[in-house]
Order: sequence, then C-alpha cells, then structure tokens
Amino acid sequence: MNLSFAGCGFLGIYHVGVACCFRKYAPHLLLNKISGASAGAIAACCLLLDLPLGETTSDILRLATEARKRSLGPFNPSFNIHRLLLHALEKFLPEDAHLRVNGKLHISLTRVCDGQNVIVSQFDSREELIQALLASAFIPIFSGLFPPKYKGIRYMDGGYSDNLPTLDENTITVSPFCGESDICPRDDSSQLFHINIANTSIELSKHNIYRMIRILFPPSPETLANMCKQGFDDALRFLHRNNLINCTKCLAVQSTFVVSDSLEEHLVYDPQCKDCKMHRQEAMVSNVPDTVLNVFQEVIDSANKGVLNWIFKHRGMKLLSVLSLPYTLPADIMYATFTKITLLSHRTRRLVVPYRKNTTFTLNRLIGNQLETYFCEYRPCQALILSHNTNHINRLHALNNKNRLLGAAPHVGNLLWDASRVVLDQVSNALNKVNRKSQQITAKITCQLAITEYGGANVEEEIIDPVENKMNLNFTLSLDDSDLPLEQSPDRKFNTRQVLQRKPSFTVNKTDTMDDDTFDHILQVTSDHDAVMAYYYLDENNKVKVTEIFDVTEDESSILQTPHEKDVNTNLEFDDDELFDNSLEEDLGDNNLFSDPESEWTGGSCLEELEPTYFTCGKSGVADIRPEADRESMEATKNGNKFTVPSFSYEEIDF
Amino acid sequence: MIVSISQFLNSKVFPIITLIIFLQYNLLINTFWWLSSPNWWSWSKYSEAMLRALEKTILRVVKTPYKGFYVDIGPVVGPADKIWTLSFNTDSPKTPLVLLHGLGAGVALWCLNIDALAATRPVHAFDLLGFGRSSRPDFSSDALEAEIQMVRAIEEWRKEMRINNFILCGHSLGGFLATSYSLTYPDRVKHLILADPWGFPERPSENVQSAVLWVALKTVSFLVQPINPLATIRIAGPLGPKLINTIRPDISKKYAGALKDTELIPQYIYQCNSQHPSGESAFRAMMSAFGWAKNPMIKRIDNLDDRVPITLLWGLKSWIDHSAEDILKNKRQNSYFNLRVIPGAGHHVYADKPEQFNQIVLEACRYADSQSVSDRLPIMPSN
Repeated sequence: MNLSFAGCGFLGIYHVGVACCFRKYAPHLLLNKISGASAGAIAACCLLLDLPLGETTSDILRLATEARKRSLGPFNPSFNIHRLLLHALEKFLPEDAHLRVNGKLHISLTRVCDGQNVIVSQFDSREELIQALLASAFIPIFSGLFPPKYKGIRYMDGGYSDNLPTLDENTITVSPFCGESDICPRDDSSQLFHINIANTSIELSKHNIYRMIRILFPPSPETLANMCKQGFDDALRFLHRNNLINCTKCLAVQSTFVVSDSLEEHLVYDPQCKDCKMHRQEAMVSNVPDTVLNVFQEVIDSANKGVLNWIFKHRGMKLLSVLSLPYTLPADIMYATFTKITLLSHRTRRLVVPYRKNTTFTLNRLIGNQLETYFCEYRPCQALILSHNTNHINRLHALNNKNRLLGAAPHVGNLLWDASRVVLDQVSNALNKVNRKSQQITAKITCQLAITEYGGANVEEEIIDPVENKMNLNFTLSLDDSDLPLEQSPDRKFNTRQVLQRKPSFTVNKTDTMDDDTFDHILQVTSDHDAVMAYYYLDENNKVKVTEIFDVTEDESSILQTPHEKDVNTNLEFDDDELFDNSLEEDLGDNNLFSDPESEWTGGSCLEELEPTYFTCGKSGVADIRPEADRESMEATKNGNKFTVPSFSYEEIDF
Repeated sequence: MIVSISQFLNSKVFPIITLIIFLQYNLLINTFWWLSSPNWWSWSKYSEAMLRALEKTILRVVKTPYKGFYVDIGPVVGPADKIWTLSFNTDSPKTPLVLLHGLGAGVALWCLNIDALAATRPVHAFDLLGFGRSSRPDFSSDALEAEIQMVRAIEEWRKEMRINNFILCGHSLGGFLATSYSLTYPDRVKHLILADPWGFPERPSENVQSAVLWVALKTVSFLVQPINPLATIRIAGPLGPKLINTIRPDISKKYAGALKDTELIPQYIYQCNSQHPSGESAFRAMMSAFGWAKNPMIKRIDNLDDRVPITLLWGLKSWIDHSAEDILKNKRQNSYFNLRVIPGAGHHVYADKPEQFNQIVLEACRYADSQSVSDRLPIMPSN
C-alpha cells in the first residue's frame, strides 16, 4: 500500500499527527512509496527519511509563529516563506537524502508553461531534491515572483494540478479536509455537497472553509496542536477500521510474506493473536507521542506567558496594531522591495553574464579590513574585444552581510516589537534565574543484547528445543561528562548509530560460552548486511525496542552458524532466495539500517539498574515475556518456513 | 477620506450612479432574455433531444437490451405526470429490482451496474418525479407533504407498471425515498437496499460560542434557504458542463473505464439539472439548512414493518455522516439487517466499486427470493 499526502500549506501539521500514528502503529506502511504535493511532499520526505518528528513539528510551529507575528500575517512583504523553507530543508535533510528517497518519494509538480501535472521521483543530488520540494510548495506571488527551476524547467505548486497524487489503486490518501479521503477529519456540520478540486475531495462545510483560510494564514499554536491531534486520531481510526494495527510479531510475518511475493491473507491479520489484541487496545487509548506534544506545549506557553504577550493579546493592542498598519506597512514594503531588488540584481548579474558571453575575471584582494574586488570584463563586440575594467572596493562587513545592512533599513513595526520583546524577555529571564536550581543528570545508556541462535529444524522432527546458542549482552555506557541539564538542552541529540556501533568495552555480561569477538562479528554483520526488516516501537514502559532481522544465512562464518545449520541452509537455498534476496535488493536495498528512535524518546527518570532479560526456551510456556524477535522467528519456523534467522533485539532503555 | 465618502453618499451623484448601474444591470439581464428568447440560442442549454441523445450514448455501455418509455401516472402532483422508465429483462418471472437515483443524477448513471443486476431478474430504473426526463411539477414546500408526494408518485408508477412487489434499491436521496416508501407500503417491498442513503442521522446540536459567528451562520443559512442546491450549475449556463467537470472531475473519472468520452457524464448531469428545478426544490423542502433532513429517518424507522429486510451499504471513504448506523442496527434487531461497508469507495458506491456493489445487491436479491418461498419469516443474516 502506498501513501499520499495532500498539499495544505500550514495545515501540514495534520500530516505530522498522521505520521506519528503510522510510525507508532503501522511502520510497515511506511516502507512503500509515499507521494505528496506541497506541504504533503515535505511531510512525505520527512517520513521517508525518518526525520525526528519533534524537531519537524517545532520547525513548522516556528514558521507559523513567524508568520503570525507580522502585520498582515504571511502576506507581509518581508516574510519570505520560500527562503525559510529552503533554510529548514538545508538544515534537516541529510547528505544522502536523495539516495534514500529515490524511487520512493513522488512529488507532484505543476509545470508553469502548460499547467500540466508532473510527478517526479528521481533525484540526482540533494540540491535537486530540495529544489523539487520547494517547487512543489511554491505558490506564485505568495512565495515569490519567479517559480524555482527543477532540472531546468520552472515548476510551481503541485496543488494546482494534482493535490493528492494517487499512484495506484491501493493508495491511502491523507487530507486535512473533510471529504472522500481515507484519512481525513469527519465533520458533522453539513451533508449537502462535496467538491473535488485538483483531485482533493472537499466537503462544503464551515469547518472546511475555516481550514481553507488556514492554508495560508496559520492559526494559533493551540489550534495547530488540535489539528495534529486530529490527524493522529483520524489515522488511528483508519488503521482500526482496516485491521492494520498488528503486533510486531504478526507484522514481521506479514512483511516477510510481502517481500517474498506470496501474499497470504490468513497471516496478515490473525484475530487470535493476543499481542495484536493488546496492541489494538493500547492504540484505543493512545495519544500523540509526548515529544510532539511537548513541542506544542512549549510554543503555546511561550505564546501565552510573559508580560509582553499579555499586553499584545489585549484587544486594545490588537486594534492599535491594525490602526498603525498604514504607517508600518509602507516601511515594510520598502524594506522588502529593497531586499528583493538587491537579491535580484545579485542574481541577474550571475545569470546575464554568461548569456552575453562576457568574460569576467574577479580578483579579490584582502588587505586588513578591506576587501578589494576587481571585475574585469571582456565583452566581444563585433570583431573587437573591448576590455572593460571596473574596480570595486568594498568594506568587508558590508560585502559579507549585505542583508544585515539592509536589515537596518526602516522596519518600524517589527523593530519596535522586537525591542520591547527583548527587554521583557530579559526581565522574565532574570526572574526565572532566581528560582532555578541547576540540575545535574548523568546519562546512562543501558544496552541489552539478546542473541539467540536457532537450529534448523527438520521437517519430520518435532521442534522441541530449537535454541542452540543463546547469549545476553548487557553493556552500560555512562555519559558522565555531559553536565548539561537535560531539560535545558532539548536540541541535544544522541546518535544511536554511533552508540550502537561502539565497541562493547564497558560491561559485558554473558550467559553462554561465546567468544568475545562474536559480538564484534555481529556488529560487523549488522554493518555489512542490510536489515531484512527493521522496525522499532515504543512499549508501555516507554522503552524503545528496535528489532532487526538480518539475513546471515549466506555468511560463511562458523561463529554464527554451526555446520549443521549450514547444511540446512544450503538445502534451503531456494527458500532463502525467495525470502530474503529479493528484499535486500529491491525493497529494502537503500533503507536505513537503524531507524531513529530518539524521536520517540521521552524524558523520564534515569534507569540505573539493568533489567533482567528473560530468556526461556520455546516450550517453557512463558513465551510472552521473551523478546519479540525471538518469538517471531519461532513462529516462522513453526509455520513451516525452515529458514534460520538468528535474530536479536536491542533494547534501548530510556534515561 | 471618510468625509469624502460620506459627501459622495449624500450627494445627488450617488443615486444617479446607482440608478445607472441598476438600469445597466437590467439591460444586461434583458439582453440575456432577448438572446435566449429565440430558439437558436439560449443561456440555459437544456434541450430534450440532447438529453435523450446523451442518455442513449451512455447506455451503449449496457449490453442488456432495454426498453425506454414514459409511464403516465396521471395527476399526482401536476395535472398529468409522466415518469421516464428503463426496463431490462422484463421476461424474467422473478421479483423485479427497482433502482432509485440520488439528487442531481439520472437513470443513465446506473450504466455500470445494470448488466450484472439484470442478468437474473427484471430491472426497472426510473427518473424520480421532478428529475431527469420525468415531468417536473411543482412540489409542496412543506417537508412531509413533499415527501408524501414523492412516495405517491412511486406508488402510482408501481400500479401503472402492474408490479405486485419489488426489491427497492435507492442511493442517497433515493435511499431516503425508498425508506419512506417502505414505511407507507411495507407489503410492496421485499427487500430494501440502501446505498449510502441521505437523511438518516439527526442534525447534531451546535454550540456556537461566539455571538458574531452565530449571527453569521444564521444569516448565511437564511440567504441560502431560497436557493436551490444546484442553482450554480444553472447560473453557469453554457459553462455548466465545464463547471461540473471542474468541481467534480471525479464523477467522470468513475466512468472512465467504460466511457471513453469524459465529457459525456458532465454533459448528462448538466442536462438533467438545467431544467426547471422542481425535484430539487422538493429536496430543499425536505432538508433543513446545510443538508440535514428535516424529518430524519432514524426517528421514524421504528414504524417500519419488521418483515422488511434491510441491506445497508456504503463506501468507507464516503463523507456522509454514518452516525445513524449503530442506532439503526439496534432498532432492527428483530429483523434482517445487513450492514456492508465497501472499502475504497466513496459516496457513489455503485460507480466507485461496481463489482462489489452488484455482488451485495444480488446477494440481497437472492435473500428476497429465498424469503418468498419460506413466507418471509424474519431471520437474522447468517454472518
């Protein structure tokens, strides 16, 4: 099944809620193609790249508050959404973004010259991807005058031609407008009509009219938070109705069958599965993850607290700002035009010069604080070559910060606003500092690795105890040197990949007779092989569980495979090919190895003691407390698929 | 500036200018009338011949031979009302199936379903009185009265057709009328099939906090009240089909598999709705503001005979409110009630997923056949 996100401007926050739900309850749906237009395309890209949701949310909220605080909202001439989006994308997209989304991300664009819809899915570089995303979100006049170019052709917002690109029959459509989409809010205000604009079905109700207005005028953070929550709830309702919420075990089985191209209905949804039921029940009462909610809370608080906000929330002040519009607006317009002209002239110089076939040399000479620039132009004029030399000597500061120079230009409204804001912020900061105690938290990452190997079971033989080797690895990593209070550093990130790939030089507890280098070997396997399937979820104890299944049957190593197993594997080579090789090459070839679980981490209490790992054999009846990964491979073996999947689960304990 | 405006408003120039604009406007309207008076050009592009031709072209999709004729039902609402009927497979002795279309639609929109449905039994599809090619008398402006008139038209049609009982299948507004008919004449209906029916749930009570918003809402609903729902299409005149294709491109997309020409369906819908909107005003009388029924079916369903089996089906994507389903299910505990949800389909279930729709309808028909043998005992569905 593919996903499709509708373009919707600032209502894109709805997609965040939907994304939260999918990550939490239906991560298997995110492995396929995702399409979108405008804000939907950006959401699709973020989902495919596994960008942390919390940061994405805060960025959208920042954009919204930025737009709200100006007179005329986002239509203020000095609010340049195009540039803000560009900065955000430059900041967030990883270096290999284009490689990871190639063929999966489908962006709907509208060609400017003939108004036709174009869906692109191949990106040669990261810049090209950014250009495509920007072009898809480009609303003429609102975002700027000239639509951006992608591969040499000018494109604009995909919402003009196809706002909800559907790739095939099985596309789940997500739209923040009530209408005939799979995931959309359900309004009860009207029952009369619905219209279909650019492939997006919209019911003619007062809620939808309100939402239409909010496409370009962002609402208050409270409303945005509600929209996000609505997205989460709607997505959850959809998953419930379609029986798409399964436990990880059933998911694993399902995914294995999907990649092996033998869709068997009875395995996709098993109503008898206890874990599925539990998972469903958990989903019934669940809510948007805390990371996202916290971001909202912060923004809402910052919008409500403080003397300044209290003053500006006052009705009189609002009136005053409206009345002062005729005076502040010309200044704003002047500032914006000034900036745009300089930017334009800067750009045209670059563009026009090659067109005229001039030859230009630029010589820079830096002396002390002065930068001298020599422009030497040779202009072929008929047969003659005219040399045209100009010397520019600019102050270094002025050259570097052209915009800052212009930033000092009259900008009355915002300047006054900013000044008073700074003063009041200082006051409130000072007040806060008196009360604040410095907190010191030592972060401790506890990692448990449970490695179990299953022996290949013969067809005739009853499976009594397929577990051949088992090993528990626990290591603790203390980050004592980090003296930053956790609450004050929301930006601090732990790169899981690094932590996980670190050598276990800390504490290694083993329960079996395995060499030290087995762990190293497993690490090597994980880095060499792409995971056949990798998913993670948040269990009820706020622990992130990362489960990855690796295909190591091809591996020649004798550490992970006993000779007996090897024999079984060679016998079952055909099965293996069918089950795993396809997946490695096609479906999950460029999937990232570790999904980023930080986005779901919540700031909780520091867990000091190691949790005991429960490890029992298949027959002992306490199957439920064993790690998920073991169970699923057990299940797989029992189902008659005689492949061996040494699987292990990382349990990242929250701190 | 304000002073100059008030001066302008008080000066004698203002009324003169207004008068000129008013006269100009009249002139404009008059020009339209003048242009539309001769037959060679009219603002409203309705023509009986064109509607007939379009219907015929669309019905080429249907392989089953059919007979189209006007059924004279006499003075039901107007002095002499006629109902345009299409009959398929009339030779079959089985219980006939009667299809009722929704608001703004016509018989031709069933084109994707008829072949499958008419394979085993007679199928009759007709344009509701006041819609499509049927005559267009003026209905009462009272909700109940208009509904009774509509139902009586169906009953008169049945008498003229000499059908004792039938399986009634209605979509949207047709579903509402079919239920209303079953309430009045339960013995005639062997099975009631409701495809995403309109007018079942009650209008939820609105709590509008802001007084300004409340006033605005009331004003809007007051202004909208006298306007027929599809008036925009008629106002658009010759641009009507284009307008339909712009705001509802999905409708022609639904039929794209069968009909090559994507212009046909919008043209047909335009022709169906560009005449005198009598059926539409009846619908307007039956609804309160913003599309909720004045007399919601869920309140009256208690009066429905327990012997009438109901199959209710709708598309999962449909934007119609489905809050009434659970109540309906509870109220029909003593009789056959089958609820089917078709994933991937919207409000127009029959066109979105014709195969599944046909299958469910045929299933209901088979049930009706089996019931006629066992004397219609109320038995719960097996699933």
